[in-house]
Amino acid sequence: MRPSTYYLPWITRPGLECALVLSNVEARFRPEWSAGSFPMHVVQYDAEGTAAHRYDVTLESCTDAVELPLRPAAGGCGFAVVSGERLHSDLYVTLSDGHSYTATHGRGEFVEGYPPLARLVLTVAGTMAAMVGRTLPVFTRNQYVYLGRDSRSHVLLMNLSNVTNRIRVTAHAGGRRPGARVLHLPPMGSHLLDVASLGPAPAAGTAVWHLHLEGNAWFNLYLVGAGSRDLAGPLSLMHVK
Amino acid sequence: MSNSLSALMSATFYEGGYEHHVEIIHQRGAEARRRLDSLEVTLYDREGAILGSPRVDPTQDVLDLRALVRETTPSAERVMVVFDARYAEAIFPYRPHHYAYLHREGSSAAPLYYAINAVLGGVPDRVGATNINNFETYVFRRGPFEQRYSLLLGCLARFVPVQAQVFTYYGRRRLAQEITLAPKSHTEIRLASEHEGERLARVEVKALFRLLSYVVGRRADTDDLVLFDHLFTYAK
Repeated sequence: MRPSTYYLPWITRPGLECALVLSNVEARFRPEWSAGSFPMHVVQYDAEGTAAHRYDVTLESCTDAVELPLRPAAGGCGFAVVSGERLHSDLYVTLSDGHSYTATHGRGEFVEGYPPLARLVLTVAGTMAAMVGRTLPVFTRNQYVYLGRDSRSHVLLMNLSNVTNRIRVTAHAGGRRPGARVLHLPPMGSHLLDVASLGPAPAAGTAVWHLHLEGNAWFNLYLVGAGSRDLAGPLSLMHVK
Repeated sequence: MSNSLSALMSATFYEGGYEHHVEIIHQRGAEARRRLDSLEVTLYDREGAILGSPRVDPTQDVLDLRALVRETTPSAERVMVVFDARYAEAIFPYRPHHYAYLHREGSSAAPLYYAINAVLGGVPDRVGATNINNFETYVFRRGPFEQRYSLLLGCLARFVPVQAQVFTYYGRRRLAQEITLAPKSHTEIRLASEHEGERLARVEVKALFRLLSYVVGRRADTDDLVLFDHLFTYAK
Protein backbone atom coordinates (compact mmCIF):
# COMPACT_ATOMS: atom_id res chain seq x y z
CA MET A 1 0.00 0.00 0.00
CA ARG A 2 1.22 3.45 -0.84
CA PRO A 3 -1.38 5.96 0.38
CA SER A 4 -0.73 9.51 -0.78
CA THR A 5 0.81 11.50 2.04
CA TYR A 6 1.89 15.10 2.37
CA TYR A 7 4.61 15.45 4.97
CA LEU A 8 6.99 18.07 6.28
CA PRO A 9 10.05 17.62 8.47
CA TRP A 10 10.26 19.24 11.87
CA ILE A 11 13.08 19.95 14.29
CA THR A 12 12.97 21.71 17.66
CA ARG A 13 15.76 22.95 19.86
CA PRO A 14 15.84 25.32 22.84
CA GLY A 15 15.37 28.81 21.44
CA LEU A 16 14.29 27.53 18.04
CA GLU A 17 10.64 27.58 17.04
CA CYS A 18 9.37 25.24 14.35
CA ALA A 19 6.11 26.28 12.72
CA LEU A 20 4.18 25.11 9.70
CA VAL A 21 2.56 27.53 7.26
CA LEU A 22 -0.61 25.89 6.01
CA SER A 23 -2.73 27.03 3.09
CA ASN A 24 -4.63 25.48 0.21
CA VAL A 25 -3.30 26.65 -3.11
CA GLU A 26 -5.77 24.55 -5.09
CA ALA A 27 -8.70 26.26 -3.36
CA ARG A 28 -7.10 29.63 -3.93
CA PHE A 29 -6.77 29.26 -7.68
CA ARG A 30 -9.67 26.98 -8.64
CA PRO A 31 -13.04 28.78 -8.41
CA GLU A 32 -14.98 25.52 -8.17
CA TRP A 33 -13.13 24.65 -4.95
CA SER A 34 -12.84 28.08 -3.39
CA ALA A 35 -16.05 28.27 -1.32
CA GLY A 36 -16.28 27.61 2.39
CA SER A 37 -13.70 26.83 5.02
CA PHE A 38 -11.00 24.20 4.81
CA PRO A 39 -10.31 21.86 7.72
CA MET A 40 -6.87 20.28 7.96
CA HIS A 41 -5.47 17.68 10.30
CA VAL A 42 -1.82 17.41 11.29
CA VAL A 43 -0.14 14.43 12.96
CA GLN A 44 3.34 15.08 14.34
CA TYR A 45 5.48 11.94 14.52
CA ASP A 46 8.45 11.99 16.85
CA ALA A 47 11.84 10.40 16.24
CA GLU A 48 10.56 7.07 17.57
CA GLY A 49 7.67 7.09 15.12
CA THR A 50 5.04 7.78 17.76
CA ALA A 51 2.18 10.11 16.86
CA ALA A 52 3.20 12.56 19.57
CA HIS A 53 0.84 15.45 18.81
CA ARG A 54 -2.27 16.03 16.74
CA TYR A 55 -3.61 19.37 15.58
CA ASP A 56 -6.84 20.44 13.93
CA VAL A 57 -6.62 23.59 11.86
CA THR A 58 -9.22 25.39 9.77
CA LEU A 59 -8.53 27.80 6.97
CA GLU A 60 -11.37 30.29 7.12
CA SER A 61 -11.16 31.14 3.43
CA CYS A 62 -9.40 30.02 0.29
CA THR A 63 -6.75 32.73 0.70
CA ASP A 64 -6.13 32.05 4.38
CA ALA A 65 -2.72 30.89 5.60
CA VAL A 66 -2.40 29.55 9.14
CA GLU A 67 0.84 29.36 11.10
CA LEU A 68 0.98 26.29 13.31
CA PRO A 69 3.79 26.15 15.89
CA LEU A 70 4.78 22.56 16.56
CA ARG A 71 5.39 21.33 20.11
CA PRO A 72 8.61 19.62 21.16
CA ALA A 73 8.52 15.83 21.06
CA ALA A 74 10.83 12.89 21.71
CA GLY A 75 14.09 13.03 19.83
CA GLY A 76 13.67 16.68 18.84
CA CYS A 77 12.96 15.84 15.21
CA GLY A 78 10.63 13.92 12.97
CA PHE A 79 8.00 14.65 10.39
CA ALA A 80 4.41 15.86 10.35
CA VAL A 81 1.72 14.50 8.07
CA VAL A 82 -0.91 16.98 6.88
CA SER A 83 -4.25 15.84 5.52
CA GLY A 84 -7.14 17.77 4.03
CA GLU A 85 -9.01 18.25 0.76
CA ARG A 86 -6.74 18.66 -2.25
CA LEU A 87 -3.52 19.25 -0.37
CA HIS A 88 -0.76 18.43 -2.78
CA SER A 89 1.78 21.22 -2.50
CA ASP A 90 2.83 24.62 -1.23
CA LEU A 91 2.91 23.93 2.52
CA TYR A 92 5.95 25.21 4.36
CA VAL A 93 7.94 24.45 7.48
CA THR A 94 9.86 27.26 9.13
CA LEU A 95 12.55 27.49 11.79
CA SER A 96 12.91 30.70 13.75
CA ASP A 97 15.24 32.02 16.41
CA GLY A 98 12.78 34.84 17.09
CA HIS A 99 14.62 37.33 14.91
CA SER A 100 14.35 35.76 11.49
CA TYR A 101 13.21 32.50 9.96
CA THR A 102 14.25 30.00 7.36
CA ALA A 103 11.77 27.96 5.36
CA THR A 104 11.35 25.07 3.00
CA HIS A 105 8.40 23.19 1.60
CA GLY A 106 7.05 19.73 2.28
CA ARG A 107 6.58 16.83 -0.07
CA GLY A 108 3.52 15.17 -1.51
CA GLU A 109 4.56 11.53 -1.68
CA PHE A 110 3.35 8.39 0.10
CA VAL A 111 3.92 6.22 3.12
CA GLU A 112 4.62 2.61 2.37
CA GLY A 113 2.53 0.03 4.24
CA TYR A 114 3.84 -3.54 4.14
CA PRO A 115 1.53 -6.50 4.93
CA PRO A 116 2.38 -8.71 7.97
CA LEU A 117 4.24 -11.41 6.03
CA ALA A 118 6.44 -8.89 4.24
CA ARG A 119 7.18 -7.18 7.56
CA LEU A 120 8.28 -10.50 9.03
CA VAL A 121 10.56 -11.27 6.07
CA LEU A 122 12.08 -7.79 6.19
CA THR A 123 12.65 -8.08 9.94
CA VAL A 124 14.45 -11.42 9.71
CA ALA A 125 16.49 -10.61 6.62
CA GLY A 126 17.25 -7.10 7.83
CA THR A 127 18.48 -8.33 11.22
CA MET A 128 20.84 -10.81 9.56
CA ALA A 129 22.17 -8.21 7.15
CA ALA A 130 22.69 -5.71 9.97
CA MET A 131 24.86 -8.23 11.82
CA VAL A 132 27.47 -7.81 9.09
CA GLY A 133 26.95 -4.07 8.74
CA ARG A 134 24.64 -4.28 5.76
CA THR A 135 21.01 -3.73 4.87
CA LEU A 136 18.64 -4.86 2.16
CA PRO A 137 19.17 -2.18 -0.49
CA VAL A 138 15.56 -1.89 -1.65
CA PHE A 139 15.71 1.91 -1.91
CA THR A 140 18.82 3.92 -2.65
CA ARG A 141 19.54 7.62 -2.50
CA ASN A 142 22.61 9.72 -3.12
CA GLN A 143 23.17 13.10 -1.58
CA TYR A 144 25.98 15.59 -1.23
CA VAL A 145 26.70 16.95 2.24
CA TYR A 146 28.93 19.81 3.31
CA LEU A 147 31.23 20.08 6.31
CA GLY A 148 33.28 23.11 7.24
CA ARG A 149 34.27 24.88 10.42
CA ASP A 150 31.59 27.58 10.05
CA SER A 151 28.82 25.67 8.35
CA ARG A 152 27.64 22.18 7.57
CA SER A 153 24.63 20.21 6.38
CA HIS A 154 23.32 17.44 8.59
CA VAL A 155 20.82 14.93 7.27
CA LEU A 156 17.34 14.33 8.67
CA LEU A 157 16.36 10.82 7.64
CA MET A 158 12.68 9.87 7.72
CA ASN A 159 11.36 6.33 7.60
CA LEU A 160 8.19 6.57 5.54
CA SER A 161 7.05 3.03 6.13
CA ASN A 162 5.50 0.72 8.71
CA VAL A 163 8.59 -1.47 9.10
CA THR A 164 11.89 -0.87 10.85
CA ASN A 165 14.14 0.69 8.25
CA ARG A 166 17.81 -0.14 8.42
CA ILE A 167 19.51 2.56 6.44
CA ARG A 168 23.15 2.10 5.57
CA VAL A 169 24.97 5.39 5.12
CA THR A 170 28.32 5.48 3.38
CA ALA A 171 30.30 8.67 2.96
CA HIS A 172 32.79 9.17 0.14
CA ALA A 173 35.19 12.06 -0.33
CA GLY A 174 37.22 11.86 -3.50
CA GLY A 175 38.80 8.42 -3.38
CA ARG A 176 38.46 8.16 0.41
CA ARG A 177 35.63 6.72 2.45
CA PRO A 178 35.39 8.74 5.68
CA GLY A 179 32.75 6.54 7.28
CA ALA A 180 29.87 4.07 7.05
CA ARG A 181 27.16 2.95 9.46
CA VAL A 182 23.77 1.31 9.64
CA LEU A 183 20.99 3.31 11.29
CA HIS A 184 17.86 1.65 12.67
CA LEU A 185 14.77 3.81 12.20
CA PRO A 186 11.53 2.54 13.76
CA PRO A 187 8.34 2.68 11.67
CA MET A 188 7.52 6.35 10.93
CA GLY A 189 10.63 7.28 12.90
CA SER A 190 13.40 9.72 12.06
CA HIS A 191 17.08 10.22 12.73
CA LEU A 192 19.19 13.34 12.60
CA LEU A 193 22.53 12.24 11.20
CA ASP A 194 25.34 14.49 12.41
CA VAL A 195 27.57 14.88 9.37
CA ALA A 196 30.58 15.51 11.62
CA SER A 197 30.19 11.99 13.01
CA LEU A 198 31.19 10.60 9.62
CA GLY A 199 34.63 12.13 9.64
CA PRO A 200 36.67 15.17 10.62
CA ALA A 201 36.06 18.61 9.16
CA PRO A 202 38.87 20.03 7.02
CA ALA A 203 41.23 22.55 8.62
CA ALA A 204 40.09 25.19 6.14
CA GLY A 205 37.28 25.54 3.64
CA THR A 206 34.32 23.26 3.22
CA ALA A 207 34.51 19.60 2.36
CA VAL A 208 31.91 18.15 0.02
CA TRP A 209 31.10 14.54 0.68
CA HIS A 210 28.98 12.16 -1.27
CA LEU A 211 26.56 10.12 0.82
CA HIS A 212 25.21 6.85 -0.48
CA LEU A 213 22.15 5.67 1.43
CA GLU A 214 20.47 2.28 1.17
CA GLY A 215 17.34 1.27 3.05
CA ASN A 216 15.13 -1.78 3.23
CA ALA A 217 11.98 0.36 2.92
CA TRP A 218 10.90 3.73 1.58
CA PHE A 219 12.64 6.69 3.15
CA ASN A 220 13.46 10.27 2.34
CA LEU A 221 15.68 13.01 3.68
CA TYR A 222 16.00 16.74 4.23
CA LEU A 223 19.23 18.58 4.80
CA VAL A 224 19.60 20.53 8.04
CA GLY A 225 21.85 23.55 7.63
CA ALA A 226 23.83 24.59 10.70
CA GLY A 227 26.18 27.52 11.16
CA SER A 228 29.11 28.14 13.47
CA ARG A 229 27.09 27.21 16.60
CA ASP A 230 26.08 23.95 14.98
CA LEU A 231 22.80 22.52 16.30
CA ALA A 232 22.71 25.07 19.15
CA GLY A 233 22.39 27.97 16.71
CA PRO A 234 20.04 28.98 13.89
CA LEU A 235 19.14 26.15 11.53
CA SER A 236 17.61 25.71 8.12
CA LEU A 237 15.72 22.82 6.62
CA MET A 238 16.32 22.16 2.97
CA HIS A 239 14.27 20.02 0.65
CA VAL A 240 15.73 17.71 -1.96
CA LYS A 241 14.20 15.83 -4.85
CA MET B 1 28.32 14.36 -28.90
CA SER B 2 24.98 12.89 -29.83
CA ASN B 3 22.55 14.99 -31.87
CA SER B 4 19.59 13.75 -29.78
CA LEU B 5 20.48 15.38 -26.51
CA SER B 6 18.04 17.18 -24.28
CA ALA B 7 18.67 20.63 -22.94
CA LEU B 8 18.28 22.29 -19.58
CA MET B 9 18.82 25.96 -18.94
CA SER B 10 18.90 27.00 -15.32
CA ALA B 11 20.23 30.02 -13.53
CA THR B 12 21.04 31.55 -10.18
CA PHE B 13 22.58 34.65 -8.67
CA TYR B 14 25.98 35.01 -7.07
CA GLU B 15 26.59 37.65 -4.42
CA GLY B 16 30.04 38.49 -3.13
CA GLY B 17 31.02 37.19 0.27
CA TYR B 18 29.12 33.95 -0.07
CA GLU B 19 30.49 30.47 -0.29
CA HIS B 20 28.40 29.01 -3.09
CA HIS B 21 28.69 25.42 -4.26
CA VAL B 22 26.65 24.23 -7.23
CA GLU B 23 26.00 20.53 -7.65
CA ILE B 24 26.35 19.88 -11.36
CA ILE B 25 24.39 16.66 -10.94
CA HIS B 26 22.23 16.25 -7.90
CA GLN B 27 22.23 12.78 -6.35
CA ARG B 28 24.93 11.35 -8.53
CA GLY B 29 25.17 7.61 -8.08
CA ALA B 30 28.27 5.55 -8.33
CA GLU B 31 27.60 5.06 -12.03
CA ALA B 32 30.03 7.23 -13.95
CA ARG B 33 27.55 7.46 -16.79
CA ARG B 34 25.37 9.89 -14.85
CA ARG B 35 27.17 12.90 -16.23
CA LEU B 36 26.20 15.85 -18.35
CA ASP B 37 27.38 15.81 -21.94
CA SER B 38 28.23 19.47 -21.83
CA LEU B 39 27.81 22.50 -19.62
CA GLU B 40 28.23 26.13 -20.61
CA VAL B 41 28.27 28.79 -17.93
CA THR B 42 27.74 32.48 -18.68
CA LEU B 43 27.87 35.40 -16.25
CA TYR B 44 25.78 38.54 -16.76
CA ASP B 45 25.81 41.90 -15.04
CA ARG B 46 22.70 43.81 -13.98
CA GLU B 47 22.23 45.36 -17.43
CA GLY B 48 22.55 42.06 -19.24
CA ALA B 49 26.11 42.45 -20.47
CA ILE B 50 28.23 39.32 -20.57
CA LEU B 51 30.94 39.32 -17.93
CA GLY B 52 32.46 36.08 -19.11
CA SER B 53 31.89 32.51 -20.20
CA PRO B 54 34.40 30.50 -18.20
CA ARG B 55 35.09 26.95 -19.28
CA VAL B 56 33.89 24.35 -16.80
CA ASP B 57 34.35 20.62 -16.64
CA PRO B 58 30.87 19.03 -17.03
CA THR B 59 32.05 15.83 -15.40
CA GLN B 60 32.87 17.34 -12.04
CA ASP B 61 30.57 16.82 -9.08
CA VAL B 62 30.36 20.24 -7.49
CA LEU B 63 31.28 23.61 -8.93
CA ASP B 64 32.80 26.27 -6.67
CA LEU B 65 30.81 29.22 -7.95
CA ARG B 66 32.61 31.76 -5.78
CA ALA B 67 35.96 30.79 -7.26
CA LEU B 68 34.56 30.75 -10.78
CA VAL B 69 33.09 34.25 -10.49
CA ARG B 70 36.22 35.64 -8.86
CA GLU B 71 38.37 34.24 -11.65
CA THR B 72 36.05 35.64 -14.32
CA THR B 73 35.18 39.14 -13.23
CA PRO B 74 36.43 41.74 -10.78
CA SER B 75 32.87 43.01 -10.39
CA ALA B 76 31.62 43.06 -6.82
CA GLU B 77 27.99 43.41 -7.89
CA ARG B 78 25.44 40.65 -8.03
CA VAL B 79 25.98 38.38 -11.01
CA MET B 80 23.41 36.26 -12.85
CA VAL B 81 24.90 32.86 -13.64
CA VAL B 82 23.28 30.84 -16.42
CA PHE B 83 23.90 27.11 -16.80
CA ASP B 84 23.18 25.64 -20.22
CA ALA B 85 23.41 21.87 -19.95
CA ARG B 86 23.04 19.09 -22.48
CA TYR B 87 22.23 15.61 -21.31
CA ALA B 88 21.03 12.26 -22.57
CA GLU B 89 17.39 11.54 -21.84
CA ALA B 90 18.19 7.87 -21.30
CA ILE B 91 20.42 8.81 -18.37
CA PHE B 92 18.15 11.41 -16.80
CA PRO B 93 14.55 10.29 -17.40
CA TYR B 94 13.13 13.46 -15.85
CA ARG B 95 15.97 15.96 -15.97
CA PRO B 96 19.17 16.61 -14.10
CA HIS B 97 18.91 18.97 -11.17
CA HIS B 98 21.39 21.53 -10.08
CA TYR B 99 21.22 22.11 -6.33
CA ALA B 100 23.38 24.56 -4.45
CA TYR B 101 24.78 25.26 -0.99
CA LEU B 102 25.05 28.85 0.14
CA HIS B 103 26.70 30.34 3.20
CA ARG B 104 28.07 33.78 3.95
CA GLU B 105 31.68 33.79 5.01
CA GLY B 106 32.08 34.39 8.75
CA SER B 107 28.34 34.46 9.37
CA SER B 108 26.72 32.58 12.24
CA ALA B 109 23.58 32.15 10.13
CA ALA B 110 22.60 28.73 8.91
CA PRO B 111 23.66 27.80 5.39
CA LEU B 112 20.93 27.47 2.78
CA TYR B 113 20.47 24.69 0.29
CA TYR B 114 18.27 25.29 -2.69
CA ALA B 115 17.17 24.02 -6.08
CA ILE B 116 18.48 26.14 -8.90
CA ASN B 117 15.71 27.59 -11.06
CA ALA B 118 15.03 25.77 -14.29
CA VAL B 119 14.17 28.53 -16.73
CA LEU B 120 13.43 26.32 -19.69
CA GLY B 121 15.25 27.61 -22.75
CA GLY B 122 15.41 24.04 -23.88
CA VAL B 123 12.56 21.64 -24.30
CA PRO B 124 9.56 22.41 -22.07
CA ASP B 125 8.00 18.97 -22.35
CA ARG B 126 11.12 17.52 -20.76
CA VAL B 127 10.72 19.50 -17.57
CA GLY B 128 7.13 18.56 -16.87
CA ALA B 129 5.82 22.03 -17.63
CA THR B 130 3.91 21.89 -20.88
CA ASN B 131 0.96 23.87 -19.50
CA ILE B 132 2.96 26.40 -17.60
CA ASN B 133 1.43 29.84 -17.34
CA ASN B 134 4.37 31.63 -15.76
CA PHE B 135 2.46 32.38 -12.61
CA GLU B 136 4.33 32.00 -9.35
CA THR B 137 3.43 32.56 -5.73
CA TYR B 138 5.03 32.40 -2.28
CA VAL B 139 3.65 32.77 1.25
CA PHE B 140 5.44 34.46 4.14
CA ARG B 141 5.25 34.16 7.90
CA ARG B 142 3.51 37.19 9.35
CA GLY B 143 5.32 37.58 12.63
CA PRO B 144 7.31 40.77 13.24
CA PHE B 145 10.57 39.23 12.12
CA GLU B 146 13.60 41.41 11.74
CA GLN B 147 14.19 40.50 8.13
CA ARG B 148 13.73 42.12 4.75
CA TYR B 149 12.16 40.47 1.75
CA SER B 150 12.73 40.83 -1.95
CA LEU B 151 12.50 39.07 -5.26
CA LEU B 152 15.49 38.46 -7.44
CA LEU B 153 14.33 38.38 -11.03
CA GLY B 154 16.31 37.71 -14.18
CA CYS B 155 15.34 37.67 -17.85
CA LEU B 156 16.64 34.83 -19.96
CA ALA B 157 14.97 36.05 -23.16
CA ARG B 158 17.34 36.49 -26.08
CA PHE B 159 15.83 39.27 -28.12
CA VAL B 160 12.90 41.06 -26.49
CA PRO B 161 12.27 42.67 -23.12
CA VAL B 162 9.88 40.90 -20.78
CA GLN B 163 7.16 42.60 -18.80
CA ALA B 164 6.14 41.20 -15.46
CA GLN B 165 3.72 42.09 -12.71
CA VAL B 166 4.53 41.64 -9.05
CA PHE B 167 1.61 41.57 -6.61
CA THR B 168 2.05 41.76 -2.85
CA TYR B 169 -0.73 41.07 -0.36
CA TYR B 170 -1.18 42.72 3.03
CA GLY B 171 -4.39 41.70 4.75
CA ARG B 172 -7.08 42.55 2.20
CA ARG B 173 -4.86 45.01 0.33
CA ARG B 174 -3.15 44.06 -2.89
CA LEU B 175 -0.34 46.19 -4.24
CA ALA B 176 0.87 45.88 -7.81
CA GLN B 177 3.99 46.94 -9.61
CA GLU B 178 5.05 46.39 -13.18
CA ILE B 179 8.59 45.86 -14.29
CA THR B 180 10.31 45.44 -17.63
CA LEU B 181 13.49 43.45 -17.94
CA ALA B 182 15.78 43.68 -20.94
CA PRO B 183 17.27 40.45 -22.29
CA LYS B 184 19.71 38.93 -19.79
CA SER B 185 19.22 41.76 -17.31
CA HIS B 186 18.31 41.19 -13.68
CA THR B 187 17.05 43.14 -10.72
CA GLU B 188 16.09 42.97 -7.07
CA ILE B 189 12.50 43.98 -6.23
CA ARG B 190 12.10 45.03 -2.60
CA LEU B 191 8.96 43.81 -0.86
CA ALA B 192 7.87 45.91 2.09
CA SER B 193 7.43 43.77 5.20
CA GLU B 194 4.44 45.83 6.27
CA HIS B 195 1.83 48.08 4.67
CA GLU B 196 -0.76 50.12 6.60
CA GLY B 197 -0.27 47.99 9.69
CA GLU B 198 -0.62 44.67 7.86
CA ARG B 199 2.23 42.24 7.42
CA LEU B 200 3.30 40.89 4.07
CA ALA B 201 1.31 37.70 3.50
CA ARG B 202 2.27 36.58 0.02
CA VAL B 203 3.68 37.59 -3.33
CA GLU B 204 2.74 36.65 -6.87
CA VAL B 205 4.68 37.09 -10.10
CA LYS B 206 3.07 37.01 -13.54
CA ALA B 207 5.00 37.21 -16.77
CA LEU B 208 4.55 36.23 -20.39
CA PHE B 209 7.94 34.58 -20.47
CA ARG B 210 9.34 32.45 -17.71
CA LEU B 211 11.66 34.53 -15.56
CA LEU B 212 14.46 33.47 -13.32
CA SER B 213 12.97 34.09 -9.89
CA TYR B 214 13.99 33.62 -6.29
CA VAL B 215 12.34 34.86 -3.14
CA VAL B 216 14.90 36.27 -0.75
CA GLY B 217 14.94 37.10 2.95
CA ARG B 218 17.79 38.91 4.69
CA ARG B 219 18.35 39.51 8.37
CA ALA B 220 17.84 43.20 9.04
CA ASP B 221 20.86 43.51 11.35
CA THR B 222 23.47 41.55 9.41
CA ASP B 223 22.03 41.35 5.88
CA ASP B 224 22.67 37.59 5.93
CA LEU B 225 20.50 35.59 3.57
CA VAL B 226 17.97 33.49 5.48
CA LEU B 227 15.64 32.75 2.56
CA PHE B 228 16.75 31.93 -0.95
CA ASP B 229 14.14 29.77 -2.55
CA HIS B 230 12.14 29.27 -5.69
CA LEU B 231 8.55 30.43 -5.77
CA PHE B 232 5.75 27.94 -6.25
CA THR B 233 4.67 27.64 -9.87
CA TYR B 234 0.96 27.06 -10.10
CA ALA B 235 -0.27 25.25 -13.17
CA LYS B 236 -3.58 23.47 -13.59
